[in-house]
Amino acid sequence: MSKNVIEVDHLKIRFNLASEKVDNLKEYTIKLLKHELMFQEFIALQDISFQAKKGEAWGLVGANGSGKSTLLKAVSGILQPYEGTVEVSGKIAPLIELGAGFDKDLTARENIYLNGMVLGHSRAFMEEHFDEIVEFADIKGFLDSPLKNFSSGMKARLGFSVATVVAPDILIVDEVLEVGDMRFRRKCNERMQQMLSEGTTLLYVSHNIDSVKNLCDKALWLDHGRIRMMGDAQPVCDAYGEEQNNLVRRRKEERRARLRSQGKKYDYLIVGAGLFGAVFAREMTKAGKRCLVIDKRSHIGGNVYTEDVDGIQVHRYGAHIFHTSDDRIWKYANRYAKFNNYMNSPVAVYRDELYNLPFNMNTFSRLWGLRKPQEVKDRIAEQIAGLGITEPKNLEEQALSLVGTDVYEKLVRGYTEKQWGRDCRELPAFIIRRLPLRFTYDNNYFNDRYQGIPIGGYTNMIAKLLENIDVMTDTDFFKYREENPKMFRRILYTGMIDEYYGFRYGHLEYRSVRFETERVEEENYQGNAVVNYTDREVPYTRIIEHKHFAPEAELENPKDYSIISREYSTEWKPGMEPYYPVNDEKNSALYARYRKLADKEKKVIFGGRLGSYQYYDMDKVIAAALDLAKQEKARWIAMKEEK
Amino acid sequence: MKLLEYRFKTLFKYKDLIIELVRRDLKLKYRRSFLGYVWTILQPLLLMLVYVVVFTNLLGKSIENYPVYLLTGRLMYDFLRSSTMGAMKSVTGNSSLLRKVYVPKYIFTLAKVTSCMVDMVLSFGALFVVMIITGAKFNLTMLLIPLVVVQIYIFSCGLGFFLAQLNVFFRDIEHIYGAIMTAWMYLTPILYDIERMDPTLQIFIKGFNPLYYYVAQFRDLVYYGNIPGPRVFWGGWLIAFLMLLIGTWFFQRSKDKFILYI
Repeated sequence: MSKNVIEVDHLKIRFNLASEKVDNLKEYTIKLLKHELMFQEFIALQDISFQAKKGEAWGLVGANGSGKSTLLKAVSGILQPYEGTVEVSGKIAPLIELGAGFDKDLTARENIYLNGMVLGHSRAFMEEHFDEIVEFADIKGFLDSPLKNFSSGMKARLGFSVATVVAPDILIVDEVLEVGDMRFRRKCNERMQQMLSEGTTLLYVSHNIDSVKNLCDKALWLDHGRIRMMGDAQPVCDAYGEEQNNLVRRRKEERRARLRSQGKKYDYLIVGAGLFGAVFAREMTKAGKRCLVIDKRSHIGGNVYTEDVDGIQVHRYGAHIFHTSDDRIWKYANRYAKFNNYMNSPVAVYRDELYNLPFNMNTFSRLWGLRKPQEVKDRIAEQIAGLGITEPKNLEEQALSLVGTDVYEKLVRGYTEKQWGRDCRELPAFIIRRLPLRFTYDNNYFNDRYQGIPIGGYTNMIAKLLENIDVMTDTDFFKYREENPKMFRRILYTGMIDEYYGFRYGHLEYRSVRFETERVEEENYQGNAVVNYTDREVPYTRIIEHKHFAPEAELENPKDYSIISREYSTEWKPGMEPYYPVNDEKNSALYARYRKLADKEKKVIFGGRLGSYQYYDMDKVIAAALDLAKQEKARWIAMKEEK
Repeated sequence: MKLLEYRFKTLFKYKDLIIELVRRDLKLKYRRSFLGYVWTILQPLLLMLVYVVVFTNLLGKSIENYPVYLLTGRLMYDFLRSSTMGAMKSVTGNSSLLRKVYVPKYIFTLAKVTSCMVDMVLSFGALFVVMIITGAKFNLTMLLIPLVVVQIYIFSCGLGFFLAQLNVFFRDIEHIYGAIMTAWMYLTPILYDIERMDPTLQIFIKGFNPLYYYVAQFRDLVYYGNIPGPRVFWGGWLIAFLMLLIGTWFFQRSKDKFILYI
């Protein structure tokens, strides 16, 4: 058993603080005469007992004013205990706070001597170790310039070098190293590690919990002068960090509630709590703007909303698979959710045949029994050539000229007709511009570098984005605006742009889908998340089995039932959920007219899929929201400068 | 006894620090100026010149070699003033350091008084220059100057300790003390000859003004060429140690509380 270097036993430190600070004679005399000189006792530390052994690294954590520095002072002998004892064996070296042991008018050389002597070294000793100190601090060449010309990083380096010139028995580090650059911090850490292994005991105070975890094996959490928790660094730091986070959250909530009760104006009214609105709200809140997010639905998340049904995350408004090739967007999304490694590889059912999607070598080999890409290419080319289509007049001819007869008949035709509710020959050719064919055995539907689904569902992700932002669901924008016309400065409208203008030029059209969701008492219904039905006789276009989107949840908690959604394409009529904008000529022209109105708005911005009448993948939604937020921030800055 | 031994041990341990602090004070005082240490001599010379011009006409006519008379008093007073003023701020001024490291707190007070003492000894040069110019006699008694220096040094330390601790609790002491110092100057026979004063005032000054003892001794040695009388000589030592005792007693009593107020 190694011996205790620091032994603190039932330490209590009490300050007599005058109830008002009296530090001049006049007040003192007046108070004395009036018998008002009251002292209030302040217990800075109470019931502190701990033992630090040789070579241990102790981290002290706690909020400001919790007594960390007081404890350090008691250990280094600056403060006398009121009750209890502090026993320390060995030499203590405190790492002096910036500017403390240093005289700014003296040169670095003189300061090194002065500082060393303050620590109790003799002149001879300092002379002997001078070069060593200079080398470690890396300030050669500045030795004879006054310290006031030094950067804070240089001063920190100098302080550290002097304090650690000999391995002291106890090293006290009080949040000094945070200013140095990366390289020096690493150097310091190495030096401290080395000293620890040589038997120095370290007392380390830092607000950076990670650095405490890294460096210390023990930790002590002080809370209002008492030990809240003590023991191995990891659990103590985690508990402390958790509480800090909660505290911050609570404070923000309180602030939010206070502002709300005061009826303070919002900077932004954000209409629609979908992905676009949530990202924008988060960004503007980060920039210090106050946002109110409203949604007419009873939940947040817009169409990416996932709902917990018997422990399965159900994609209520259709399957959403996040995929992107943009590093920035992927990183951003990962800040608000952990993603699983789901890879979308749907299968298509045509009568009693089953094919892999997207169209790839697996599909073709099942179709024709061919194995080599060249054979497949030849087969398709042969089929296309046999048709002799030069100028496709409708969708059927267009598709045929792209993929040939077999693929079209079995995999394209029925599905497309169900989607559009019309015969392929009646559909215009432009709907399908290209049908990608892949000549590898690769079932991954997307070509993007990153792909996945948030663990725990999209709703969690949206909730995290909207953390500490005021949100009102079940709130209709038009009603809200009428009732509270003065509650906001600007509006972001992510609903239907034509609805905003009361459909004055007529309705924009959408394609819509309808879901029939049901619980089936089968552990695994179809073996894949997405199965498309490509023959016309089956009324639905596909069946989604939601549990397969989250294999990790199923692994953790296997269920003997499943939730499936049959997806039907429906003709859209006003009042139905709008899904896909129809960007044909007529609708595009209509949108352009609405857009003109929108451009004239001074206080209203339109965004998102419905606000800009455009189909967006989720990554594009985030990118667009970030861009908009950037523009808005620039706008605020410009406004401020104008003032 | 053990405690005393311990005290001397720590004093010895920190002797290099004291030396370094004194060096710092002296270095910083003249680092920025063109003439450097020459100012130590030049400053009292210039000051004296002003006084001589003003006061020779007013009251100096009757005092032989007024410049030397004035300077002998003035040097003592200047030392007392600068050392106690500096000592007063020595604890509060080093608060950032004292809050972080354990260093005996009196070190800073002691160093301050010491550096002022060194400064005074250096400025004796000015006195000698004036004596040469005015053709004053250099007496053998001047060899005893160190005895006076030690006395007033001890006295200043004592007063410095007292003021340093008081200033921690009451910052406005600084202002009050400034006024006290000015009064003190006029109550000490620096500019004038005490023998010409009102007799009651004479008794008052000779009896209750500690500075009088040091000025008188110093003047005896330098200006008059006499061995100081036993009353001022032994009185000077007694007062010095008494002040030191009072100062350290107050300082010791409250030093653990400093940290709460600085």
